[in-house]
Amino acid sequence: MTTFLALIVPTIFLGSFLFAICRKVKVYDSFTQGMKGAIPLIVSIFPYIAAVTMLSKLLEVSGLGAQLAELLSPFFHFLGVPEELAPLILIKPLSGSGSIAVISDILDIYGVDSYIARCACVLYGSSETVFYIGAVYFSGIKRKRLHVALLISLFAYFLSIIVGCALCRIL
Amino acid sequence: MNILFSGVLLLCSVIILIRAPENFLAAILDGGSRAATLCVSLIATYSVWMGLIKVWEDSGVTRGVSKLLRPLAKKLFKTDDRAALDAVCMNLSVNLLGVSGAATPYGVKAAQLLDQSENAEYSSSMFFVLNATSLQLLPTSLIAVRVSMHSLSPADIVFPTLFTTLFSTILGGFLTWLFLRPKKRENVCKFLQIQGAGTQ
Repeated sequence: MTTFLALIVPTIFLGSFLFAICRKVKVYDSFTQGMKGAIPLIVSIFPYIAAVTMLSKLLEVSGLGAQLAELLSPFFHFLGVPEELAPLILIKPLSGSGSIAVISDILDIYGVDSYIARCACVLYGSSETVFYIGAVYFSGIKRKRLHVALLISLFAYFLSIIVGCALCRIL
Repeated sequence: MNILFSGVLLLCSVIILIRAPENFLAAILDGGSRAATLCVSLIATYSVWMGLIKVWEDSGVTRGVSKLLRPLAKKLFKTDDRAALDAVCMNLSVNLLGVSGAATPYGVKAAQLLDQSENAEYSSSMFFVLNATSLQLLPTSLIAVRVSMHSLSPADIVFPTLFTTLFSTILGGFLTWLFLRPKKRENVCKFLQIQGAGTQ
């Protein structure tokens, strides 16, 4: 399974370039032309990313994040979600890079194959960083009408945590 | 986002001011440099995938995939805007493969185009929810992390993740359809916004 997964990306590249060459596309020209768009894209999303990372750092330093996690842990316990996952659950919708840091801590402390670690992985893999998508995808848009969509996404996210932890117990 | 940002920022600032004021500048600068390093690594990722995407566009792969998915997307997003649907289709199909780096450029484009189409509120919301609940079929990056930490069965998480993500995507899509579908959406919308304002 794992070796199969490692094959996916190289296969995509090989297939795409072979197909392009067969269709008589100038591969070098296309590839470099496409890369040109990367820098302007980054420039346009940088301020939004910076705002989120600064905020999450402030949350960490002020201890507010940890306190919030502690406050919520009885609630998570009630729902059948391991309370050790509280920091991950809180940071996941906000910051992808932040949650990578948190999840590697969890894997380190509790062991890669433990129940908690598996829950953490499922939780991480089954959702996106909701606020990041809001910031990046919809950053260029003036009319903001996504309040309802945001609420629905967060609701689905919290339900999926409960379902994910329950599934980890069975499978 | 404005309310959330100012609220959290103010609260954190007050706490830091009381506890350890000398840490404030260091913390916020560290946040900034984190963003900078993240963006540098994103430049690398985007260059690779946007280069590949351009190759797909020039060789006609994009057109083929969009043609396949367009009827479905048309029903789901209730819009006829061809360019927007193409971007949406590519974003969703690349997401399915688990290469979310490549999905972002299409996502940005799709969001901008959907905003100008008819039923903009419904289609943008649907797009947001489907992306936020994540359609990823194979959590490739996490499996790589598990392999590097010597897990006994790194692919253990594939099925629970798949079922969970299916559950949240279907639930999210259904709720969006229920609350925001173009008919009589205004009343429900107002109701929800009042509710949302109450809970925030």
